[in-house]
Amino acid sequence: MCFWPPTAGRCTYHEPAVVADRPPFEDLYRDYLGRIYAYIRSQVATSADAEDITAQVFMNAYQAYARFEARNTTPAAWLFRIARNATLDHFRAHGRRERLRRTIEHQPQVVEDPAGEAEERILYRALLGHVARLPERQRDAISLRHSGLSFEEVGILMSCSEDAAKMLYHRALKALKDSVQKEGV
Amino acid sequence: MSEPEDELELQALQRQLDDAFETTRPRPGFEDDLWLRMQSRRPFTSRMSDAFAGLIQGIRAAPAVPLASVAAVLVVLIGVGIFNLSGLGRGSASSTQRQLSLNAGSGANVPSSAGSFGRLPSPVLAPVGANQGPQFSQPAPAAGAYAGPVTLTWTGQLNVSIGAAPVFRYSEPSTDSADQFAASLGAALERRPAGLLGLYTASDYTLTVRGTVQAPAQEPAYFILTAPSLPGVSAAGAQPVDIAELFLAEHSLAPQWPYTTTVDGPTDQLRVHFLRQFDTPGYGPAYLVDAGGNRYGMEVDLNGSRPVLASGPLPVSLDSATYPIITADQAVRAALASSPSPAADGVPPAKVQLTNVELVYTLVAAGDHSFYEPAFLFSGSFQVNGAQYVKRVLVPAVDPSQRG
Repeated sequence: MCFWPPTAGRCTYHEPAVVADRPPFEDLYRDYLGRIYAYIRSQVATSADAEDITAQVFMNAYQAYARFEARNTTPAAWLFRIARNATLDHFRAHGRRERLRRTIEHQPQVVEDPAGEAEERILYRALLGHVARLPERQRDAISLRHSGLSFEEVGILMSCSEDAAKMLYHRALKALKDSVQKEGV
Repeated sequence: MSEPEDELELQALQRQLDDAFETTRPRPGFEDDLWLRMQSRRPFTSRMSDAFAGLIQGIRAAPAVPLASVAAVLVVLIGVGIFNLSGLGRGSASSTQRQLSLNAGSGANVPSSAGSFGRLPSPVLAPVGANQGPQFSQPAPAAGAYAGPVTLTWTGQLNVSIGAAPVFRYSEPSTDSADQFAASLGAALERRPAGLLGLYTASDYTLTVRGTVQAPAQEPAYFILTAPSLPGVSAAGAQPVDIAELFLAEHSLAPQWPYTTTVDGPTDQLRVHFLRQFDTPGYGPAYLVDAGGNRYGMEVDLNGSRPVLASGPLPVSLDSATYPIITADQAVRAALASSPSPAADGVPPAKVQLTNVELVYTLVAAGDHSFYEPAFLFSGSFQVNGAQYVKRVLVPAVDPSQRG
């Protein structure tokens, strides 16, 4: 048990309570923060947005972890579901159309974002830009799959079968290839 | 393009995607920042119940300290304003209903070379209802949910006869600093969890040390959770404050700064607050307050005579520099200018008389160096629908010319 801040080991993370089949939330946080961020970053236009949504995802997950049932789903699928919903909420709240426009036109947001500028320099930004411009379900299939989820988990998250998830993914991959070849990376 | 070539290109694209997702990560520090933000939002009651549940084995679930009920009598609306005084001309000086007694103290009387730290960062204050500062040592004001508009007037008196006040600065402590602090207490490093400077253990307690939290600003802090085997403090006739002071002294943690004490909580689960003050030449001790205007410092939680938890600011070396401060009139006008606009639905704003003001200090986190800066804390009580509220307005005291 632990007071503040929570720690693992002897002073175990406590809120929500840790049960035998549920890893400490801190472990989930460490294991999945980067992957969740990458997934979200592939969907939205700026690193600032990605950070905001990632923060919301883990805040929500933290609150809901007591209700997480490891028997019903994997931690990855559970977290990515929260991430997917948070991203959709983000688009609803802020206007999908405007975000897409910014993505397509590569217009920077009017915010100081040195970290974002640094991230803009990474090698694969352009490729993720192409991913972001795919139709929603294709984008999701690519992002979830390359965030490390199995096709079964992708299917569960996207409310389709594992086979359908595979087909959707391969269709998305071809669409991405066409997009890349057309405009270059 | 032939099918095999097409397949090869798809495989190459998959590898690129794998790499892209593998290499796309948040900025350095984001993981730690977010972790601490998440922790800071945990309700105090759950933290307390966790602590007690872990310590009082075999006993019925220990009730959390009912801070809400303790403070239920006075629901506090924390109205925090942070103002750039360059806009003071828009303030309603006519609202000042009583002549202020401050005659001295224009910042212009202070040499412009004052302020060797350079331009100071301005405080970034938490919005109403947000977590507003340190999780330790607030004497339990309950933040009210009242969010309606108010009209402010000033009927108090500002008795500050100084034109300058010290600003204090500390450098962000390193893991070495935390290790030295722990070693001075006799605790040994166990490990360094993400976002913390260190987790240490001693024979009868666990020590956790973290650095500055940037927003809402919280200074580097330590947290001591005692082991169930730790006996209670036996001192005939000792009051809770005595017990807390004895415990701190035994662990070389007695506050090295001026303070006053308050006690709250139910009889057998008390919290002793050591409210920190800063000596201000020409004024006297000024309390340290968080972004909501609550005094804080160090705290010790007691279960009967047994200390359960102690937390407070990590001792750090403070540099000081003198800065010109605004005049009383400027402070009052800034406070009055904080009145939010009337609500669009026509709800009339509550009329609030600010009746009290004091010079306080507030933490401004600024990366490698953070500052304790002076501010004027205005307050006044008012009622809405029969409920009692307190309106607080925090106005930075350092002259705007010295702030970034």
